[in-house]
Amino acid sequence: MAENKLLEVKNLTVNFHTEQGTVYAVRDVSFDVAPGEILGLVGESGSGKSVSMYAIMGLLAQNGRVEAGQVLFDGQDISRAAFPNEKSYLRTMRQLRGKDMAMIFQDPMTFLNPVLTIERQLIEPILNHTRLTRAEAKARALELMRQVGIPSPEKRIRQYPHEFSGGMRQRIIIAIALANRPKLIIADEPTTALDVTIQAQILELLKELTRTTGASTIMITHDLGVVASMCDRVNIMYGGKLVETGTDREIYYQPNHPYTMGLLSCVNNPEEEDRPLEPIPGSPPDLLKPPRGCPFVNRCEQAMKVCKLRMPEYENLSPTHLSACWLNEKRRRERGGERNG
Amino acid sequence: MEDTYRKYLADPGALDALDPSEIPDQLFEKLDDSEKDSEFVAMASKTYFQDAWCRFRRNKMALIGLIFIAVMILAAIVIPILSPYTYDGQDMLLRNAPSSWAHPFGTDKFGRDILVRCMYGARISLSVGFAAALLNLVIGVVYGGICGFIGGQFDLVLMRIVDILYSVPTLLYVILIMLVFGANIFSVLLAICVSSWVGMARQVRAQVLSLKEQEFAQAAYVIGASKPRILFKHLVVNCMGPIIVNTTLMVPDAIFTEAFLAFVGIGISIPMASWGTMANDARSLLMSYPMQMVWPVAAICLTMLSLHFIGDGLSEALDPRKR
Amino acid sequence: MADRPYISIQHLKTYFDVTRSLFEKRQIVKAVDDVSLDIWPGETLGLVGESGCGKSSLGRTIVMINKPTAGRILVEGEDVTALRGEALKRFRRDVQMIFQDPYASLNPRMTVGEIIREPMDIHSISEPDARDARVVELLRIVGLKPDHIRRYPHEFSGGQRQRISIARTLALNPRFIICDEPISALDVSIQAQIINLLKNVQREMGIAYLFIAHDIGMVKHISDRIGVMYLGHLVELGSSDDVYFKPLHPYTRALLSAIPIPDPVAGKARRRTMLQGELPTPLNPPPGCPFRQRCPQATARCGETMPELREIQGHWVACHNIER
Repeated sequence: MAENKLLEVKNLTVNFHTEQGTVYAVRDVSFDVAPGEILGLVGESGSGKSVSMYAIMGLLAQNGRVEAGQVLFDGQDISRAAFPNEKSYLRTMRQLRGKDMAMIFQDPMTFLNPVLTIERQLIEPILNHTRLTRAEAKARALELMRQVGIPSPEKRIRQYPHEFSGGMRQRIIIAIALANRPKLIIADEPTTALDVTIQAQILELLKELTRTTGASTIMITHDLGVVASMCDRVNIMYGGKLVETGTDREIYYQPNHPYTMGLLSCVNNPEEEDRPLEPIPGSPPDLLKPPRGCPFVNRCEQAMKVCKLRMPEYENLSPTHLSACWLNEKRRRERGGERNG
Repeated sequence: MEDTYRKYLADPGALDALDPSEIPDQLFEKLDDSEKDSEFVAMASKTYFQDAWCRFRRNKMALIGLIFIAVMILAAIVIPILSPYTYDGQDMLLRNAPSSWAHPFGTDKFGRDILVRCMYGARISLSVGFAAALLNLVIGVVYGGICGFIGGQFDLVLMRIVDILYSVPTLLYVILIMLVFGANIFSVLLAICVSSWVGMARQVRAQVLSLKEQEFAQAAYVIGASKPRILFKHLVVNCMGPIIVNTTLMVPDAIFTEAFLAFVGIGISIPMASWGTMANDARSLLMSYPMQMVWPVAAICLTMLSLHFIGDGLSEALDPRKR
Repeated sequence: MADRPYISIQHLKTYFDVTRSLFEKRQIVKAVDDVSLDIWPGETLGLVGESGCGKSSLGRTIVMINKPTAGRILVEGEDVTALRGEALKRFRRDVQMIFQDPYASLNPRMTVGEIIREPMDIHSISEPDARDARVVELLRIVGLKPDHIRRYPHEFSGGQRQRISIARTLALNPRFIICDEPISALDVSIQAQIINLLKNVQREMGIAYLFIAHDIGMVKHISDRIGVMYLGHLVELGSSDDVYFKPLHPYTRALLSAIPIPDPVAGKARRRTMLQGELPTPLNPPPGCPFRQRCPQATARCGETMPELREIQGHWVACHNIER
């Protein structure tokens, strides 16, 4: 695909060095994000979905290392390997994070400083990355607060984070993220800590803002309902690997990978007639010693011998739909091996 | 056709080299469930204390401290038994003798063997230290645990009593207790305990107060566990870490208090030896025979230091968050 | 079908005094305010609502972790709120609870075997020698292996720990289990495992559940009836299809429209009734309907009296504006 891409991640591999050994958190993950789209990143805890995003933003914990891979953002190579030293990498990433990339976290309280007013916390990023004066920055801050739907911003801008409710704090976080009109917003479980009615408000707001600002959004979540109502495309991650990617309809209506299918049959669509849930047996793999072949082999009902031995290659099911499963090769053979290679 | 699978299982690299279309058909047969690694449980089974011991062992200073204390205890038991001298046996012909084969640490102004006196001192100091720590452990855990567990008005009243006890200087207790029970080792022990269990009680209370809100404590309540069972089997067990550390650090405190009291002349009576009384005896001869002062003081210092290292090592080993 | 409910909650109130000092005005949180409901033997009653609505407080009051301020809890016709000693212990064998956080609900210093055995030891169920065999059987029922018996909770994943929790409650052969958000801390693929386990256990042992959760999709799946709570009040109660497909209370309608459903076409096309504002604090609430400040249909009457829970064809709702 020759169309322009905002973010392109190639063969990203991230390891953590811990007391128990090396944790292979993200293994050889590649994907891209087009301008203006909302990409959902779905996986269970420990699937590597958050770690891959932190690696892209240069926010890995001390013991985490990007072992391999390339990250192209807006045409610029921002992988650690593209910089001569750690300092210049960190400086560039700091610049990028405040301006062109922004992050929205799950728990707003860990991101907001409890002893500073909202005004200080909103104006700071604007002043750091633009040439606006303090008064102009404040005007921009008020505009942002209005944009994210905070009533009477002139009064509330002087308050402290604890005076806001959970939903309002998440709106503040979104306002800070939008401060410098980012091209990419990475939202890490932005609504997990919120109640359903508040979650609906925040999701509606994020969707609206993506449409009006033209920014791309990556939504990290484990909630298939949130993904269905928000995202244009979906990446499914399992055991540190990307197992399937496709448009929302491809993933929900024509899932190819057994894990995706399993995930979908684990959730109940309340709109439909109740059907028995079909849980995936077992637990996710231990990433200290990940399976050599397909990460899902130990929980897969249809696992074959080859699955244990070798990681399947990605199969193009449509220009937008990729899946890594040996069953595709098997089906081809059963059809009589029309195609080779 | 199991062989193809076994062959590649032994050498999976050979399979990676193949083009996907060249992979033998046999490998596309269903994988037997027995070949799957089902329900893994992470990590080898290690209890809390095994795990803590592993971490403790890695701390060199704490290990040296532990060895020193072990040697000291052994010496305090064995040397006075094997030695031909006693703590009060005087040899007027051999006063203030320097170190020699017969008297490795020399003799004091009455010609008593300093090594043997030092070891008798160690018996007293170490037993006072450990006994105080043990008493302190029992009283502090029970009192603090009950206060924290019951809470409310009961806790409020009992903790104010603790505050009052804490506000009276230790020396005052010592003098009062000595007046009533006379100057002996038990009075010293009692005096040390009266003032020191308070810290333990406070710490245990704080821990229990927060632990009892945890779901496992509530689960124990819901399954019908009795109050003592919840308190000791569920709550106290979970604050073992701080309790052990606190107890260990209590030992050098008690040893120091005992030595200090002996040095200023309160405490055990002559001719019994304690490190504090020995230091006091050596004080008058400090200018002419400084070595007589060095032995007891070195014993105090090294013991205290060792116990503190052990305490630090334990607190690190038992509370992994501090790493 | 039994002729009387297993447990009958009547006008239950649980208030918490949160006054911080003697010199402050008295502050009362009405966590549960005049809730009445019946749970029949072997049924599952789902309880939904947003955080702070009192659904967990209600569950915790039933098992007496919280003391009720007023009202009665009848178990098979007997009031249990005043039980003490042996009678309370007897009650505990029948009424159990599964907690939300699988990482906090197991004592980290006990082995799995000790954890599951403890209720049997406390209640002297079966001979001491037979208890270990029963532990192994319970482990098998919840899908764990017998050799897990000597391991410690920290070696297990969240889903496995929740299974251990379930085994611990089953050790008492209870008649009724309160499930306080048992799946909200788990991953999606594990949630379904636990739900199915709970359903299987219910089918085999005929246990009644009070299933507290905020995931309405899952609650609808597991429940026979659903109750909706708002700010300490039960505002709607009915069969799960009735409540989901024909909600009466305006709050229930808004809550249901806010659920993201796992279907991209329907999910994106869905029209939401956006609620204005946020949940008010349950601190000294004014009289009248608790929902009136956010309600699109509020009238003057809503500010004056709290609407009673009324029955409309087997479907109960507390709203002045619903016609009979």
